[in-house]
Amino acid sequence: MSDNWFTSPVLEQLNSGVLVVDEQFQLVYLNTFLQRHATVQLDEVKGKSLFKVFADVPEAWLRRKFASVLELQSPSFSSWEQRQYVIKLPHMRPFTSASPFMAQNCTMLPLNDSAGRRHVCLLIEDATDAFVYQQRLQSTLQKLEYSNRIDGLTQCLNRRYWEEQLKLEVQRAQRYQQPLSLLLFDLDKFKQLNDQYGHLGGDSVLIELSARIRALLRDTDWFGRYGGEEFGIVLTNTALEGALDVAQRLCLAVSSIAVIFKEYSIQSTISVGVAQLNIMGERAHEVLIGQADVALYNAKRNGRNRVVAFSAGETEFLLKTTE
Amino acid sequence: MRRVFSEEQLDCLQELINVAMGLASNKLARFLSTFVYLQVPSIALVSSAQVSPQFDNQYSGVDSALVSQGFLGNDGLTGEAIVLYQLDNAHRIATLLGYETDSASELEMLTDISSILTTTFLNSLAEQIDNSLSYSAPRVLSSRQENVAEALLDTVCHWDLALKVDISYQLIDHSFNCDMLLLIPGEAVLTIQQILVRILEEC
Amino acid sequence: MTLPVLICDDSLLARKQVRKSLPEFFDADIVTAENGMQALTILRSQEIGLVFLDLTMPELDGIGVLEAIKQEAMDCFVIVISADIQPEMQKRVTELGALAFIHKPVNPEKLVLILKQYGLI
Repeated sequence: MSDNWFTSPVLEQLNSGVLVVDEQFQLVYLNTFLQRHATVQLDEVKGKSLFKVFADVPEAWLRRKFASVLELQSPSFSSWEQRQYVIKLPHMRPFTSASPFMAQNCTMLPLNDSAGRRHVCLLIEDATDAFVYQQRLQSTLQKLEYSNRIDGLTQCLNRRYWEEQLKLEVQRAQRYQQPLSLLLFDLDKFKQLNDQYGHLGGDSVLIELSARIRALLRDTDWFGRYGGEEFGIVLTNTALEGALDVAQRLCLAVSSIAVIFKEYSIQSTISVGVAQLNIMGERAHEVLIGQADVALYNAKRNGRNRVVAFSAGETEFLLKTTE
Repeated sequence: MRRVFSEEQLDCLQELINVAMGLASNKLARFLSTFVYLQVPSIALVSSAQVSPQFDNQYSGVDSALVSQGFLGNDGLTGEAIVLYQLDNAHRIATLLGYETDSASELEMLTDISSILTTTFLNSLAEQIDNSLSYSAPRVLSSRQENVAEALLDTVCHWDLALKVDISYQLIDHSFNCDMLLLIPGEAVLTIQQILVRILEEC
Repeated sequence: MTLPVLICDDSLLARKQVRKSLPEFFDADIVTAENGMQALTILRSQEIGLVFLDLTMPELDGIGVLEAIKQEAMDCFVIVISADIQPEMQKRVTELGALAFIHKPVNPEKLVLILKQYGLI
């Protein structure tokens, strides 16, 4: 045929792999792209089994794919999103990626020679760029999601996300009849601290103390920044007694060690209000916050640097303050 | 759609599709060697605007997957073939067919099945009308990762007409349903009509 | 001798295609039916020598027709022409007394071979 004069050069120059096997999966042809990437010579591998030459190929899977092409005389495909590569080849990208291997989109086509003997043609398209960009995108999205949930300064959960989790935990505790407690605390006399050491000083205290406190909590607890110097902790599977215990330890952790800021040694304390979930219903999480808040107020009123638990007798006061 | 195709033309189209489906299902059955029965598909030709509401009912709210493949032939015959699945028994089918049981393999199985169904069906259809087709690689979307109903809506709005083919097949004791949609542009409809007229005249 | 032939298929196109696939020298008197019920009505009221039968039809399908033909011991040959060509179906159809099974789209040469094989032409 008169087209032959360009088919060879095109196949040689093509930036995609072309591989042809016969019905026994023996190699009939490998184009230059593949020869170079796999560092093999066509005359060396011609007639050999594809699976012997490329030992890393998932044999059972590829045999099945090839079989479907031969039997049904229809194309079959493989995308890098499902299987990163069919033939393990190094990629030539100048920038780094998580994997040193080429990501491949493959098409398998039925081919019959002039005598009608069946073959399969495997076309390999280098999709490494797409692969790399996808990874970067995932990473960026993860960071974005992270920043949507996290308070930038203290690395605690931000208020919105923390309240969502509180709500979910309350529902869960109600459903499974498990105890749940809430701690609300804030830094005592924070305004004075800021005035004395400046906002940077105040910030470094917040950063350091939240790190200290976080270290004392379990993975199942939710620690969020509720306001400027106000924080909340959801203690799952914890009743009042256990919650008070935790609260005392946090108090001590804060008061016993000063925060070093520049040349200053800043002493600080916290007041903690504690409440255990004790009602049902959809607004239970709001009530719980209100109760812990009342307890916190009492802790402040009674001298600060202490833990106070909400008690039922406070109800009247609660109603007044939440109006 | 009777405004587009005459009664006779619709009948002709249905027959072409039945035959194509019979051939495709036979090939699939032989290849997977476990299928037993494939019902002759019912077809409906609808404007693409009508597609999404119908599928919303069936496929939103359950784990579902969508496999889409473009096709291109001579004389302006082109379109997109979409196969939709509910995923609830997909993993059982996957093991039966020798795929591994993780979700990636489940999607691979669906892609393979869809590709076989689509290409053998369309090839057979094309052959009956003296045309031949080439295909783009199939793309799969799963509701476990994204909103399938939305994706369907996004795709469908680019096409004028949708040929809805309901396929239901039975695999040993499990029945496995899927829906195939062939989305075609307005110009392709005219091409198809010309073909149908020619076929009817030749008889 | 003119053979009375019944072509039974719900698709107009299919009926036309069968008719078109019959060799020109085939001396046949052709009647058609759109479904199994119509087919049986015709078979019970007229002499039919050969039936070309589709399997998937409304009202009464091809299997139903074959069963009735067998039960009522009707004297006619049946050649099944269908899109559904699974081995199970072929087996079933042969067991019910069909002469042959041809898959759609009908290949005229193959049809001629079968007609010759069974001495119908």
